[in-house]
Amino acid sequence: MIKNILASLIILFCANAIHAQDEPLLKKWSYNTAYLMPAGKWESGLFQPFRYGINPKLEVFTNVLMLPFIPEAGVKMAWGTKSNFVIASEHSLCTPTPFLNFISRKGIGGLISPEYNFSFILSVYNGLIVSRQIAPKVLASAKAGFAFAFRGEKPDPQSTIDFPLFYPRMAHYYKGTSIRLGTAVKGRIGNKWFCEEGVKVFIITRKENNFFFENAGTLMWALGKSLRIRGGYILAYGKYPYVTPKWQMWPTLDLVFGSK
Amino acid sequence: MRNNHPKKRSPFLLVIAGTLILLNACEPLATSFNDVEDAIIYTKSVKVAPPLPDSTLKVMTWNIRFGIGRQPWFGDACGNNTVFKKEEVMPGLEAIVARIKEVNPDILFLQECDVKSNRTAYIDELQYILDNTYFNYAAYVSEWKSEFIPSDGLGRMDMGLAILSPWPITDAKRINLASRGDQAGIVNYFYLHSCIVTGNVQIPGFKEIPLLNIHASAFATDDTKHKHFEEFKAEMDKLNAAGKYFIAGGDLNELPPGSDSTDYCYEDMCPGESFHQPGDNPQHKAGSDYTPEATWLQPLYDTYSCAVPLSVYQANQPAYFTHTTRPEHTWDRTLDYLFTNYRWRAGSTVTHQDFFSESDHAPVSAEFVLRTKGMEIK
Repeated sequence: MIKNILASLIILFCANAIHAQDEPLLKKWSYNTAYLMPAGKWESGLFQPFRYGINPKLEVFTNVLMLPFIPEAGVKMAWGTKSNFVIASEHSLCTPTPFLNFISRKGIGGLISPEYNFSFILSVYNGLIVSRQIAPKVLASAKAGFAFAFRGEKPDPQSTIDFPLFYPRMAHYYKGTSIRLGTAVKGRIGNKWFCEEGVKVFIITRKENNFFFENAGTLMWALGKSLRIRGGYILAYGKYPYVTPKWQMWPTLDLVFGSK
Repeated sequence: MRNNHPKKRSPFLLVIAGTLILLNACEPLATSFNDVEDAIIYTKSVKVAPPLPDSTLKVMTWNIRFGIGRQPWFGDACGNNTVFKKEEVMPGLEAIVARIKEVNPDILFLQECDVKSNRTAYIDELQYILDNTYFNYAAYVSEWKSEFIPSDGLGRMDMGLAILSPWPITDAKRINLASRGDQAGIVNYFYLHSCIVTGNVQIPGFKEIPLLNIHASAFATDDTKHKHFEEFKAEMDKLNAAGKYFIAGGDLNELPPGSDSTDYCYEDMCPGESFHQPGDNPQHKAGSDYTPEATWLQPLYDTYSCAVPLSVYQANQPAYFTHTTRPEHTWDRTLDYLFTNYRWRAGSTVTHQDFFSESDHAPVSAEFVLRTKGMEIK
């Protein structure tokens, strides 16, 4: 039944393709699409990565707030438009080792038991994004990619953070490759209001705890030319190490700011 | 316009409706409890024939310390470890099962039993004990349940109390006890919530027996524990007033009145800690100073029959000690009890102090005198 629900959601978000353009939408919210930041422009969120347009074909990104804990760098490359599909690829490297060792601690904030010590991990992600205007104010995107890790030492399987949102994104640090698929539709519902609805699937190439699904809904309010506030929910489903798959809902909130 | 067509809106409405439905299925981060809730009934997949007791029922209470034996855990034994591997937990569980079979109680009260907790490698300890002993049923209630505790690497937690029986357990409930009054709200949200598990067993030929198993607060520094004892006694009083004869017990985390030693700050002190010295704050280690609580159990002793009567305990206290925090030391205090409003068979009580390595608590067993149908409480 769950697979049927997931399939329906994916189909729903992929459906109804038509062609158009919506400049305000792309200007305010090109994150999570195949569109790049314009050359010389930047934006960042508290949680959303910092993005900077180098030229029309290249964007760099990193997460500024988490940079001391999770050194990360990535590029998004534009590959042009084919049959009205805008195509881009994303490639990133990150080393979560400082973060894992930081949260492996006693007391509050100890997400991982302090007896674990993590050696060097290099996480590599490569993915493809396609976007297409499906209505005058609506843009649909689809993503496919995979993440894998080089590990100095294989981390102890009991040192995972068995928690929605964290676990699927970190699963490949421990074992297997993470295949990531997703699709999202974002649209403009006013001069200053935007919304996005999307689904993501994480499939980990291993025998257990290998399937995760997220449905995210977000509303964004453009407070000014350079400041936006967005909030919503993430509904997560997953097969965690404690066997019982379950649904959980989490609120999301972020401030996005950047070039005018 | 296509995007205004009614048919295009319906899928989005479906998504919203579906999301609202799914919201109902979501669990909060930490579980909060109602005053009274149904317990979870566990069953053994292949039942065994229950015994046919003639005149007594052997009852045992045991805080099994989630199956990790005497290994140093960060929370109670000055240890550094939070999480234990399956191969570290299973020998402890196997030893517990062997000891249960050795004593062979008809009814077993367990405290600190983990069910799919991160710290014990997600083993369902209760199901393991049930499947590997002669018990057919267990009534389980959680006292510490959280999807994820963001502290000390605890992660997912489900620890609780259980009553195990070869006979069906009916009307099993979880009775919530007072929350700790000495904790900040957010800490209390993720912390354990002490409780009682109750249930009834019907042994053919005998009157139905209500059972009560408690795990009172271990570390409260205010009057929370006192409230727990009052709530525990109130449940017993209700049964007594209804003319029912019960067996009640568990880990009260309290010393009997008249104990020679009431301050264990030095015994429980971890490296780097200091107590009782000028400038120390706090002066006493949480959960180790029982001095202000010396009379809190007196009403229980005054009203009901303890498997180890107070006079017997006071005459030779070390013989009835059931707990120590120090992995290498012998038992140094009594925290575990069995009470009834009827009778224990004389000389049947055993404090199993030889079960030293299985837990930081020694189990206590005693034989309860069964009452045939038609007998009334005098």
